[in-house]
Amino acid sequence: MKHFTKLATAAALGSVLGTAAIAQELYTPNLAYRTGPFAATGIPLMNGQADYMTLLNERDGGIGGVTVDFEECETGYSTEKGVECYERTKADAVVTQPWSTGITLQVLPKTNTDEIPILAPGYGFSPMAYGKVFQWAFNPPSSYWDGASMMMQAISGGDMASLSGTKIVLLHLDHPYGKEPIPLLEKMAEMHGFDLVLIPVGLSQMQNQSSQWLQIRRERPDFVLMWGWGAMNAGAITEAVKTRYPMDQFVGIWWAGHDADLQQVGEDGAGYRSISWSMPQPDAPIMADLEEYVFSRGLSQAEDTDWVFYQRGLVISMILAEGMRTAQQMHDTAEITPAQLRDGLENLEITEERLAELGMSGMVPPFSTSCADHTGHSGGWMLEWDGEKFVQASDLLMPDRDLIRPLEIAAAEEYAEANAPWPVNEACDPES
Amino acid sequence: MLYRTAGQFKTSYVADQALFPVRQDAVLLTIILIFGWVIFPMTASEFTFQTLLIPILIYALAAMGLNILTGFAGQLSLGTGAFMGVGAYACYKMVTLFPWMNPIVAILLSGVFSAGIGVAFGIPSLRIKGFYLAIATLAAQFFLVWLFEKWSWLYNYNASGAIQVPNLEMFGVFVSGPQAASVTEYYIVLFVVTLLTLLCINLTRGNLGRTWKATRDMDIAAELIGINLMKSKLTAFAVSSYVVGVAGALYVFMWKGAAEPNVFDIPLSFQVLFIAIIGGLGSIMGNYLGAILIVGLPVVLNVVAGTQVFEISTGSALLLAALIAAATFLFGVARNLWGMAAAIGFGAATLIYGYAQLQGFRIESALIEHINVMIVGALIIFFLIIEPHGLNQLWRLIREKLIIWPFPH
Repeated sequence: MKHFTKLATAAALGSVLGTAAIAQELYTPNLAYRTGPFAATGIPLMNGQADYMTLLNERDGGIGGVTVDFEECETGYSTEKGVECYERTKADAVVTQPWSTGITLQVLPKTNTDEIPILAPGYGFSPMAYGKVFQWAFNPPSSYWDGASMMMQAISGGDMASLSGTKIVLLHLDHPYGKEPIPLLEKMAEMHGFDLVLIPVGLSQMQNQSSQWLQIRRERPDFVLMWGWGAMNAGAITEAVKTRYPMDQFVGIWWAGHDADLQQVGEDGAGYRSISWSMPQPDAPIMADLEEYVFSRGLSQAEDTDWVFYQRGLVISMILAEGMRTAQQMHDTAEITPAQLRDGLENLEITEERLAELGMSGMVPPFSTSCADHTGHSGGWMLEWDGEKFVQASDLLMPDRDLIRPLEIAAAEEYAEANAPWPVNEACDPES
Repeated sequence: MLYRTAGQFKTSYVADQALFPVRQDAVLLTIILIFGWVIFPMTASEFTFQTLLIPILIYALAAMGLNILTGFAGQLSLGTGAFMGVGAYACYKMVTLFPWMNPIVAILLSGVFSAGIGVAFGIPSLRIKGFYLAIATLAAQFFLVWLFEKWSWLYNYNASGAIQVPNLEMFGVFVSGPQAASVTEYYIVLFVVTLLTLLCINLTRGNLGRTWKATRDMDIAAELIGINLMKSKLTAFAVSSYVVGVAGALYVFMWKGAAEPNVFDIPLSFQVLFIAIIGGLGSIMGNYLGAILIVGLPVVLNVVAGTQVFEISTGSALLLAALIAAATFLFGVARNLWGMAAAIGFGAATLIYGYAQLQGFRIESALIEHINVMIVGALIIFFLIIEPHGLNQLWRLIREKLIIWPFPH
């Protein structure tokens, strides 16, 4: 409240003096969804993101001495509302965080002409990794194709040849998000001789997936991979328990590893795995800081702060904050522009040491980005539900970059061609 | 006094049958057209173009298409969203297969495909009517959306299953795609919408419109006076689907820029149907009023909730005050106390909200969204209660009363 009064006075003063008081802030709007069918998975993530920025404002006075205005614009996961939010916030924003693959696809071509970086950590269009073509788009630390590759390694036990002759089902949301891994999985099926069965779940069938699980029972697959989100995850997990599908053969992408979805089934869900590029560390030093500066001051709406999704929200804001900090250092200015933030996000160096300094050791694998690589390809861990919470179930898995890289470049170039004229970053040499 | 028709004599049948027999109507329309063609494009911001002007025009056009079928010909349809999809996918295939094609021609041609599909799904209307026909069009809705998902040729085998609008050029200017300026897109939308509105007004006034209305009011009687029901119903389906298909092509090419199949799912059909019903079935102007209420109002409310009420510029404050005063006056003329109370209440609520803001009150964006949905829902019910025949009828009543104002009977 006090913060707001201060802000209002600053704004009032600014309008009197005829100068923009807003410029004294880093405006990083978040296209959040705390309403609608995807709210259950959205809320903990958005709480984590907001709390990290509040912590920086409260503890360090912002980033480089400039406070961060982390305003939310509600989309309810609707593409239309998302574009409305983008248009409303883009004038002052240094970054846009679209928070849905559908919104990302719409906003992606616009950011290229509006020259605003688009930060989509762990989602969006996998070929965005190729920074030469997608100069304004960033999806660190891992793309969906990376995720698919790591999941395949985990289920094959590291030996892809062992998958020959098996049957793998991809249970996916029938939406651009759910269709993301299909090209890579089809390619892998061809290379390693397994049988890939695609089972889509329509947006209207998310809560009732009995027909999909009937099909899974009939197909008798060796593994089920899940690309689900929102109400679909809970539906799939309860259906799997009901049909007694072996949980150790059921693996989800990082957005399908939400604590609340598994708490509904409890012990019955034990053995369910989800690949993740983030790991909850309830004892990390940053959690103590959050307690001191944010929770105890009543500045947070968060409830379950040791959930995977809440802590992933913290990591997402950390990536953005580090991008802004790098940009400030590179350009020697505290008030960065969108173009300067782009440079910052392109030169992220998240090392073990830096994570330790931030008090976030072990929350995300170290990674770095470059002009040609906008993802960083950090790799990830398998998290396993032990009946009460998610625990680490594997060492750090790395994606098969040799396989994915050419696909990314081909898809990115195809996109640029279809959207010609599409300005690319000529100064960037992908080989360097 | 303001709308005095005294002295406007008609001395020929042509004058009596003119589009606007009352001079004030024509003046009012000219003012609106000047706003649409000159003043808005000069003053509007990117945000206004993308969230208000362009979508309102496109939704109004889609509702007009539906209104021809449901309002004028009496055939209930729940498949509007899918027919819009047919237009959008047809336009996408045309511009990708024939890149030399003029975008406006492609948009206008795409309606032909949806008209064909519309006629095919309209054939059952010869045997069934009312709710049963609604179910048949619902089948079209489900089938077509399923087809958009499964037939990968339609979206050029794109991995995400979405169609993405390429940059389209016309006389050296980008008219569509990410490189196009909003004002160019707006002018194209406005041009197409004006053209089709003119067409629809004249169609519904003419011979065809009369046969549609006869079919709607009593099909047996219509048949007895020699109207060919098959021709009447199928032309209604064709014209309606044509307009809806063009609206769908504009929806993707001039506004959204990309679309996945479930954009065209049943919520879109319902939204267009709501616009047509709230605007007034069997009217042309009602579609615009309905679109302003259903598409524009939530955006405006969101903007109001996000601004400091006491810090807006004098110009916007005067505009807001003038709008509230005008609404109160019009409801007053119509002797509609509920309407007057609502308009004044809105003004008072804004002031209270502004005062609360000064006291440091702030609402979360999620809460704004919830309140927004409640307000829009309440307004829909409110307008349907004070005038069940829609906003068009409300305006007609106000206009009738304005003609004799200030000396009511």
